[in-house]
Amino acid sequence: MAKSATDAAAEALALENVTCRFGSVVALDCVSLAIAPGERVALVGPSGAGKSTLLKLFNGSISPSSGQVSVLGQSLYRLSGRRRRQLQRQIGMVYQQHQLVSNLSVIHNVNAGHLGRWPLWKALWSLVWPQQVDVARQVLEQLGLADKLHARTERLSGGQQQRVALARVMVQNPKVVLADEPVASVDPARADDMMQQLCALTQRRRTLLVSLHTVRLAKAYCDRIVGLRRGHIVFDVPAASIDDQQLTELYNLCETTA
Amino acid sequence: MKPPPKPLALGLWLGLLAGSLWIAGLRVFGLGLLGLEQRPIFNWNGFSLIGQFLLAIVHPATDSVFISIIAKATLTTLAFAICGTAFSLIIGLLAGILSSEVWWQTCCPGLIGRSIWRSGRGALAIPRAIHELIWGLLLLNILGLDPLVGVLAIAIPFGAITAKVFAEILDETPTAPLKALVNSGVRPDAAFLYGHLPQALPNLISYSFYRFECSLRAAAVLGVIGAGGLGYQIFLSLQSLRYEQLWTGFYALILLNGAVDLWSAQLRRQMGFVSRMDIGRQRRNTVKQPQNAAKQSQRTAKQPYAEQPHIDAEPIAIDANRSNLSRHPAWLKIRLPKQTFIRGSLVAIALSIPLCFAYLGLDWSRLDRAWILLQDLAKQVSPTQVLPEFSWALFPLAVQTVAMSVIAITLAGLGGVLFSFPAAQNFFLPGGLLRASGEARRWSIGHGLMIVARLVLLAARAIPAPILALVILYGMFPGIWPGAVALAIHNFGILGRLMAEVNENLPDGPVRALRSLGASSTSLIFYGILPANLSRFLAYGLYRWEVCLRETVIVGLVGAGGLGRLMTEQLSSFDYSGLAATITVFILLTIGVDFVSGWMRQAVR
Repeated sequence: MAKSATDAAAEALALENVTCRFGSVVALDCVSLAIAPGERVALVGPSGAGKSTLLKLFNGSISPSSGQVSVLGQSLYRLSGRRRRQLQRQIGMVYQQHQLVSNLSVIHNVNAGHLGRWPLWKALWSLVWPQQVDVARQVLEQLGLADKLHARTERLSGGQQQRVALARVMVQNPKVVLADEPVASVDPARADDMMQQLCALTQRRRTLLVSLHTVRLAKAYCDRIVGLRRGHIVFDVPAASIDDQQLTELYNLCETTA
Repeated sequence: MKPPPKPLALGLWLGLLAGSLWIAGLRVFGLGLLGLEQRPIFNWNGFSLIGQFLLAIVHPATDSVFISIIAKATLTTLAFAICGTAFSLIIGLLAGILSSEVWWQTCCPGLIGRSIWRSGRGALAIPRAIHELIWGLLLLNILGLDPLVGVLAIAIPFGAITAKVFAEILDETPTAPLKALVNSGVRPDAAFLYGHLPQALPNLISYSFYRFECSLRAAAVLGVIGAGGLGYQIFLSLQSLRYEQLWTGFYALILLNGAVDLWSAQLRRQMGFVSRMDIGRQRRNTVKQPQNAAKQSQRTAKQPYAEQPHIDAEPIAIDANRSNLSRHPAWLKIRLPKQTFIRGSLVAIALSIPLCFAYLGLDWSRLDRAWILLQDLAKQVSPTQVLPEFSWALFPLAVQTVAMSVIAITLAGLGGVLFSFPAAQNFFLPGGLLRASGEARRWSIGHGLMIVARLVLLAARAIPAPILALVILYGMFPGIWPGAVALAIHNFGILGRLMAEVNENLPDGPVRALRSLGASSTSLIFYGILPANLSRFLAYGLYRWEVCLRETVIVGLVGAGGLGRLMTEQLSSFDYSGLAATITVFILLTIGVDFVSGWMRQAVR
């Protein structure tokens, strides 16, 4: 469906002179950015730099005050209703707080990844009689959670819940994966594991945009690093060529001006 | 008590419902084929009257004479509610402290204190189990027609309910500051008043507002039995079939209730309390003492407002959502400087209480004369006279009462869930969870839906249930159905609003996550919203079931069947021995239903 559009588009994600205001606060100030299909991009920067805002723009949960946002060659905010949902199902999001429906069992949370494709009757029937259990089981097996298929999500540990959230994205099978500080609340070993999972998820020309606090992870797992500070892009360089000078500036400057 | 498995509770409810429908004349499961006669439910001849009644919605009586009568009646109803609430809060605070565990633990630790606490709690159960309407009729017999009847009929049962809830709030408030004071040598009573009460105060105040809203509804119902005010005027208009006047009265009631709801919501918000029924929530943020943990779980099983799952894991997200929704037209939000509004309200409360007492002109001397009547009454309720009154004839009536409440609460719950979506602020308004983001229209269909849904809910809970039952009796034959439908409409109004509040307090992260992966609005409801809220919807429904059972006496008044009808008959024929027996059966019934409901609430959690 959206495939022809993707192939035609040169970039998977693009911002063009985007400004985002919340009341008097300017979260993003005239930002332009282009990310090609298959790229793995890390967003770094101090808290409040606008990383979350930037990610939210791409999954359609907020709209820009001005400027153009395009995803897979289409302008998300020009679309409405069905067309918009069709595009949204090509974008997967991993949240720091997982954002799972905690009262549902794991299988339903994983199956929620199908919701963009399933007709309503199937979605409802699945709550009574889970559908496509094999897909869910296979995905959970990859993540080492196969035995939790029917457990209630709220009874799982934080790390397990994060893997359920990942499973939901895997089932959704999107072209673009956005991750908002996915490793902010896990220990270093888990962080590496999580990044590996995200990279595995984004093989085969899938695009990854991940916001991180740990520059080491950004260097290790991403092709390109974008530094964001107070709503502006400070640098945009290949991961290999980033130097410490740039990083200290990114974090220091903010402290002095804030 | 071990929480039962969910399917068992669900099956039990379905069984109860099927049985109730069967008793109410709807022969489900094909039992009608067995030759049991099918009683008619609808009286089609009366539908023209219902039509006339509904037509009058658009042309209420507006002549100045009647308007002034209604205005006066509105003031009377408000005065009843204020005086009744004032009394019940005084009773509630004193009795609440004296029946709280923490008070006796502090002031009189040991076996004596604990036994006083237990018996205090137990003693409160009896006035609470008897509905305010029965209190009203009883007091009417004893005191004669006087405003005192209306005020006391609210004060006695509501005082007992408030005492129970206040006691629970006091016990659930963290005791560390109190203990610190006591351990540093402060007198226990001073430590309690200084270190414990102020902490519990926000919750006590929040509940007091809720009680006031309840008192207002009770005042309207009590008007029907002759206490005066709007209920009485509406009843007169209905008896003389003047539907235009009837609707003027309804509109006045809706206006009064709506104004009080808005004011109390605004005041609670400004004082920093989120929801009127979330008393139990704060407790969960505090450190639980281990020896209290078991008791707390017991307690939470009893009161649904105390058993809401802890949902404020992400207050920031909710706040962000709120600010996102601040696109209402300006008039939807009353903007006054915060302090002015709170101070003004407090002054108004302080002034209104003495004014209302003066306005009603209570005749306290009647209490002296009532003493003789009370002694006479006491003779009639001696065990030798009451015991013969128990008979198996009460059994079918008790079953009917339960059936009526089960049908009513099922209908009310279904309607409430349905209306809770458009009535909540965070779904259909621009920026809401069920809307595509990025829309920034100031007005939308969502606003219209919300206003209509809220008005329907307001009207449903503002109009007294006996009046609804009387209207429904035009179109249905006397029996369980008219009572059940009237109670269903009334409870629908209450449940719908409570459920809308549950919806508004929903953490929006998971729902927005589903939205952003492309799920449709309907899928969102079934995958994101209902799973998160259903257990609380059920808990509220079951809690209202307990209340609904007590309320069956309201519709029994107008002949809707069940024990309530028998009670009102016995009251009007001064048959106190019989009444004592009926009330005993009724209290046992309420205890049984409270037990089943508490058990099921644990299951659905």
